[in-house]
Amino acid sequence: MVSESCGNPSVETEAIMSRRPKYDKSKFCIKCKLNSGAIIVRHAVYCKECFPALLSYKVKRILEPQINSKPELSRKKSLKASGNLSIGFSGGLGSTVLLDLISRIYLSHRTETKKEEGVTKPRGGKDHPRNEPVWKMVSVCYVEIASGFPGMSDKTQKIHQLLQENYESLEFIPIRLENAFDLSWWDKVGGKAALDANTDLTSDELFVSTAINSPDSDPVQKLRSYISALPTPTAIESAIHTLIRILLLYTARSTQSSHLLLGTSLTSISIKLISSISQGGGFSVREEAQEEWNPDSKGAVRLIRPLQEITLKECSMWAWWNDLLVVGKEKYPRGKDGIEALTKEFIIGLERDYPSTVSTIARTCAKLAPKVDAAGLCILCERPLQPGVQEWKSQISIRATKEPSPPSHSSDPSSVLHSLTSYLCYSCHTTLSSRSSKGVSRNSANTSLPLPVWASTHLQGLLVDVAITDMQPNLKEADEEIWLTHKVNPDEMKEAIGEFLLE
Amino acid sequence: MTTISLRIEFGGGLELLFSNEKRHTLTLPSMVSSDNNSKTSADALSGVNTKPADVEYLVFYLRDHLLQERPELFMESNTVRPGILVLINDTDWELEGEGEYVLQNNDEIVFISTLHGG
Repeated sequence: MVSESCGNPSVETEAIMSRRPKYDKSKFCIKCKLNSGAIIVRHAVYCKECFPALLSYKVKRILEPQINSKPELSRKKSLKASGNLSIGFSGGLGSTVLLDLISRIYLSHRTETKKEEGVTKPRGGKDHPRNEPVWKMVSVCYVEIASGFPGMSDKTQKIHQLLQENYESLEFIPIRLENAFDLSWWDKVGGKAALDANTDLTSDELFVSTAINSPDSDPVQKLRSYISALPTPTAIESAIHTLIRILLLYTARSTQSSHLLLGTSLTSISIKLISSISQGGGFSVREEAQEEWNPDSKGAVRLIRPLQEITLKECSMWAWWNDLLVVGKEKYPRGKDGIEALTKEFIIGLERDYPSTVSTIARTCAKLAPKVDAAGLCILCERPLQPGVQEWKSQISIRATKEPSPPSHSSDPSSVLHSLTSYLCYSCHTTLSSRSSKGVSRNSANTSLPLPVWASTHLQGLLVDVAITDMQPNLKEADEEIWLTHKVNPDEMKEAIGEFLLE
Repeated sequence: MTTISLRIEFGGGLELLFSNEKRHTLTLPSMVSSDNNSKTSADALSGVNTKPADVEYLVFYLRDHLLQERPELFMESNTVRPGILVLINDTDWELEGEGEYVLQNNDEIVFISTLHGG
């Protein structure tokens, strides 16, 4: 807008900048160019009729290259997964939309769909060999977190009912957050039995003690103890996300699933990336988008987030236009004080005014890769473990004024003490050892953190390896190296580390 | 003074702030105070700057007359809070000029919160 002025600020009227349009070119649909647009997606205009095909295309672009075990070079090769499919469902907007889209695109032969507008119908009919189902069996897994927070409502029944009404052919698998401390669940999903382990959070060394007979073996009590021991609201949210993810992965594997799908949208991924990196999770930035999980080589599960190129706005419009009921997720107590909530507020605001910036976050992170190789897996989150975590931490901050000493456990002669720090990634170590901004003193009197079952098992395996190596010093001096490996049972394990036990 | 009849709908949990009612019907004056003050009487309008009732005014009106609690969850910086989508006759309000869209009789305005989580 050109204003005629003499340039004298005292007589010039206020120059009003014309509003920058939120869409490129015209208001007509960029795809069909016929219909008037109904939604703007990052400056591009789409009509209601073309919108379904846009979402379908975005889902397929992320998911289909990962379906077959080996990347397919030929586009004509049919999609056939090596196992079944698990879909993680939280009740939130993303997972509701994910379930609907996956059902329409891949499961329409087994579910009754309301309508398939915009979704390509199979050529040759649904019985054509080319159109065989990609996955034989599909299950929907839901993790209920209510047990960890007294007073929180349990939504399992409501979710089960919703799924029965809309997706009756899909198997519903309810999981509870306390399963992470339940040996019977662990056994059911194929986990190896482990000693109970607890970590002392009063020092950065995170000394862990193991006990054969834990006084408190109720999983719900252990879960509450876990949550109450965590130092900050940020740590609680981060730890619960990890528990949920691992519970879903082990459950997926127990159903012989080759794929686990989660409904994380582009907006949510950007939030999680910034939040995770701020908590020291940069080494596993790639795993935030997608990961190949196989911690004990018993069978891999591909964790994929098919909505990672679809914004929260698009998910919301899809849910609205298709009348999808979104049950919603419970908020954690004091969750709004955590880093993730603050990050979410920032990103949601950014997305409204600068929508392309949010996708830039995800695309930039997708280009990142760690400089060094992983030194194994973190025993808590089962993501890559970066070497040199403790050396780095000791260089960047002073955490204690005196050398930490292991706590005494004279009341429990069967307990064993080790430091957990070298088995945790930077992010998990930060989660457990972070300090509240209110000072070093903790709000909660509870500083003993029970380890989830998988962490205890991994730790036990690693400690046995260390013990066996330490017991064979003679071999280091021999001319030839002799390697003897065999599977050990719990009695042999105890015998192997017997000389380290305090009697 | 002419009036405009509007159908308002809330989704995504936003209805919890509005008496848990998803659907509302409103009647607004066609000309309103430019400062979005919905409490200015019809007589007093002649003494102030006026504008045709637009979506910006509607948002203030809803906050002042229908909202039961937590106004900060609905409005921020004189517009809807980030994370709330607005549809004008089933169309993204960004295509219709956002707050500057002049309301017409029988328009349907939908406010959807995207912040369920997901």
